[in-house]
Amino acid sequence: MTKEKMLAKSHFRKNKGSSIGIFCLMLLASMLLSLAMILFTDTYPTAAKEAERLDGGDGMMYVSSETLKVDDAYLSDLLLGAEKYELEKALYYPLLSLPFGSSEMDNSVKVCRMGSMMEKTMARTEIAEEDASINGDYIYLPYQFKTSGGMHVGDDYHISISGENYDLKVKGFLNTVYGGCNNSGLYEICVSDEVYEKMLSKIGVAGESSFVVFELQDDVKMGEFRIRVLNQLKTDDPLANVSLQPVSMYLGSRTFMSLIIAGSFLAVTMLVVIVIILMIVNSISNYVKENMKTIGALKAIGYTSRNIKGSVLMMFLTLALIASVIGIAVSYLLAPTISSLVIAQMGVPYSVSFSLIATIVAFATVVLLTVLVTLLSLRKIKKIEPIVALREGVESHNFKANRIKLDKSVFGLDASLSLKTMLHNKRQNIITFFVAGFMVFICVIALLMFENFNRNPNLSLMIPEICDGVVTFDKDTWEEGFEFLSSQKGVENIRRYREDSIYVGQEDSLYLMVYEDPTQKSNKDVCYKGRLAQHENEVNVSGKFAKQNGYKIGDEITLNLGGREYTYLITGFIQSLNNDGHEAIMSEAAAAHILDLESMPTSFLFDTETDEQIDPILDACEEKFGEKMVVRMNMVKSIEASMITFKGISTLMLVTMCLISALVILLVLFLLIRSLVFSKRKDYGIYKAIGYTSKSLILQTAASFMPTIILSVILFSVVSYFIANPYMQFIMISFGLMKCTFAIPIPGIVIVGFAMILLSFAFAVLQARRVRKIEPYQMLIAE
Amino acid sequence: MNEIIKTQKLCKTFSNGGVQQHVLRNIDLSIYEGDFTVIMGASGAGKSTLLYALSGMDKPTLGEVTFAGKNITKGTPDDLAVFRRKNCGFVFQQTYLVDSMSVLDNVLAAALLIEKNKKTAGAKAREVLKSVDIDENLWNKFPTQLSGGEAQRVGIARALINEPKLVFADEPTGALNSTTGKDVLDVLTKANDNGQSIVMVTHDITSARRGNRILYVKDGEIAGECDLGKYVSGDKERHLKLRDFLGGMGW
Repeated sequence: MTKEKMLAKSHFRKNKGSSIGIFCLMLLASMLLSLAMILFTDTYPTAAKEAERLDGGDGMMYVSSETLKVDDAYLSDLLLGAEKYELEKALYYPLLSLPFGSSEMDNSVKVCRMGSMMEKTMARTEIAEEDASINGDYIYLPYQFKTSGGMHVGDDYHISISGENYDLKVKGFLNTVYGGCNNSGLYEICVSDEVYEKMLSKIGVAGESSFVVFELQDDVKMGEFRIRVLNQLKTDDPLANVSLQPVSMYLGSRTFMSLIIAGSFLAVTMLVVIVIILMIVNSISNYVKENMKTIGALKAIGYTSRNIKGSVLMMFLTLALIASVIGIAVSYLLAPTISSLVIAQMGVPYSVSFSLIATIVAFATVVLLTVLVTLLSLRKIKKIEPIVALREGVESHNFKANRIKLDKSVFGLDASLSLKTMLHNKRQNIITFFVAGFMVFICVIALLMFENFNRNPNLSLMIPEICDGVVTFDKDTWEEGFEFLSSQKGVENIRRYREDSIYVGQEDSLYLMVYEDPTQKSNKDVCYKGRLAQHENEVNVSGKFAKQNGYKIGDEITLNLGGREYTYLITGFIQSLNNDGHEAIMSEAAAAHILDLESMPTSFLFDTETDEQIDPILDACEEKFGEKMVVRMNMVKSIEASMITFKGISTLMLVTMCLISALVILLVLFLLIRSLVFSKRKDYGIYKAIGYTSKSLILQTAASFMPTIILSVILFSVVSYFIANPYMQFIMISFGLMKCTFAIPIPGIVIVGFAMILLSFAFAVLQARRVRKIEPYQMLIAE
Repeated sequence: MNEIIKTQKLCKTFSNGGVQQHVLRNIDLSIYEGDFTVIMGASGAGKSTLLYALSGMDKPTLGEVTFAGKNITKGTPDDLAVFRRKNCGFVFQQTYLVDSMSVLDNVLAAALLIEKNKKTAGAKAREVLKSVDIDENLWNKFPTQLSGGEAQRVGIARALINEPKLVFADEPTGALNSTTGKDVLDVLTKANDNGQSIVMVTHDITSARRGNRILYVKDGEIAGECDLGKYVSGDKERHLKLRDFLGGMGW
């Protein structure tokens, strides 16, 4: 072992440059792998872990009723099958505009009293951050307002509810199970007792609503329980505003965006790791080639192939072990920053903890791959005869064609010699071709994310229908409301919309979205397979639900609500990221079989000529109809607020991926050109001796990689343009996003392509400058 | 005769692990146009070091080398490369052809540095290859497919293609057998007959006979010089004169 150790040290000393290059690649690979794994195994499950820690139970129900008296006596009968439950009285606003960063977020809001909030034993609310010295009219906001909205304790906070203005100060941020994220459909905020009383006095006859967190007995099925309880509530008060959702639905809605981000990160990381592994393989193989003479000398003096293999393996294994440990350590240093962006949308306090799986996967992947690749590359050592090795594998025959004849070439002398070098280094150029190509693809994916999450947010991915504004009128006012809305200047493309929960048998339910005519929707991409429902017997169901229950397109499904049922034909699957993937779409004509549409609140989705027209239109509707208009929403502002995090992440992703691409290309060119200069050092010496300048040889060497890089950039830009969407879909499909057609910015690809070519040339010139160190005299006397 | 190279106090010292080795010591020397100058000496005497210092391939530690009146010791490596391409041709013991290029391209790689017209350069390269007896069927072969003598003759063709003022040859027959060695020397002699100045390092007495001026290097200094006159094949006196000179030098 001492022999191998001694030789390993000698190998390292002799090959410091390439060893350091390979070390950097190993470090980068282990760091990225570890980071991606941390996101999946530690960061992403945070919301679920927090829900369990805060005793979130199995689900939450709220009831807002003018007639029902929801108390323990009522609940003990209603919640039959619940192991335990806890009732909390709080104010409920179906839709409230809350300042969020520099924009506004429209969402359902639960307003709690400070005292009662802290007494809960189920779905406990924790203060994630506060300034206890703030008194007077204060407010505690969900933690997401800090992580995603960029708000701080001590900020002034102004909200307006039904014309009443509240000037508050942010006292702190809350960590809650059910009301922490806009995607979950509910915000939980807490105000001082004085503010609460003032709000209560203005809320109207319904008064406080009831929020019940429950835990089911082991043998009770959530689906059955939910349908029974909701039916009972509808029976007891048909006008009650009720909702009952399992905790999984809240968690799914809360985390799906983080999952998309983590997935995208993983998608890109996988590509980078593939490139790096490719480079490690090539570098180790080059190492054996470059050290052929040393191997020959060692064999000549009596070292066995086993000794030599052992020493090379020991060197690379040591490099891999150290690089992995440092890479993993660096990943834990970077993880808080990356993770904070990934979970910003969840709004959950999070600090990185040690992930054994992430560490083992990253460590084992790099170390085992290094061992495997080294052993495979070293197989040839056994066959190398000492004398052949000492001659560095001199060929006695050469049947290669003499390509690019200097007297017939259409190119100049330097260009012709560059092309000769390129053709002579086929393997290096093939590797460069794929590395540059993969990097182009990675940048295209990052560009795609930037374009679709930042520059022009691709809303069709996240919401079933795209519009500029929404107004919802009660059952008695919607016809008049529609007339009024239609008469407003700038309003266009009004679509009638209703929603409710419907049931499949006695166990399962679907969130039903009813459009006057679904085929006239703006977002037709929501139907990823089959076609949108159109006729009175047709329905679309979400792909996840269909998969869980074995439904296929063309199958019939019987839906029911309030004693009415109808059998529909499934004409297509829709993608849904909300409501736990249990959603359905149908036309009004179809919904009329089971719903009494005329007695439901009716929404109108509309577009406007300019974004500035939205608020005045909503104000005019509110002024005209007052409390009869139950919902108003400026979608542009809401989306802008919820996109803040994504904009940051997509920008970070673009910058990071461009930097990683630049770094990988730099390392790859460093290793390839170093190896090229080493293997051609004799030729460079000859060229210099007969009168070639270093400048000319540097340009020749750098330029010899450029045709490959340019070809790769052009080809992979075109290929990436066509495969970026299928690739993203392949990744996203496992996250429930069944169809995603992202916009791919062609000018962005052109800019990235040019940048990559110029950067590669600059790097290649920098690396090729080592040619300057070759002195013809030294080279000649070295023989 | 015109001086083509002149050295003043030329010194070359190598430092190895703190130990200094003075390879050339204060050499004052002139090389004349049209001469076939031969540098001889024992192994390690400094003859190759002197050759490469004269050609601008290696920088002296002290002193200067002037080429046609111009000091070449102060140039940058790139200046010296341009100087070499215009003024010097090199023939090495190991031939040093570029293995990845054909015979013709090896010669053209040097020719095109001076002659930009590819057609003219191509014609000239073919002519020079013919003049050194390299058959046309070898022009598209690679150096590894040639015999030692053929490869060396290609090396000479490369050295002569730009009609340099001076050709430096470092043990050109050192790796060849006597027959092929003679062929190579014939080519060099023919070039010299055509007016080409040649400086050749050798430790082979048969090769040395081709020169008209013999310099003997000993311990980094020019220990002696012998004028043999113009080479004539089969001149036995010439051989005796050289033998006596070398004997006197302690050869």
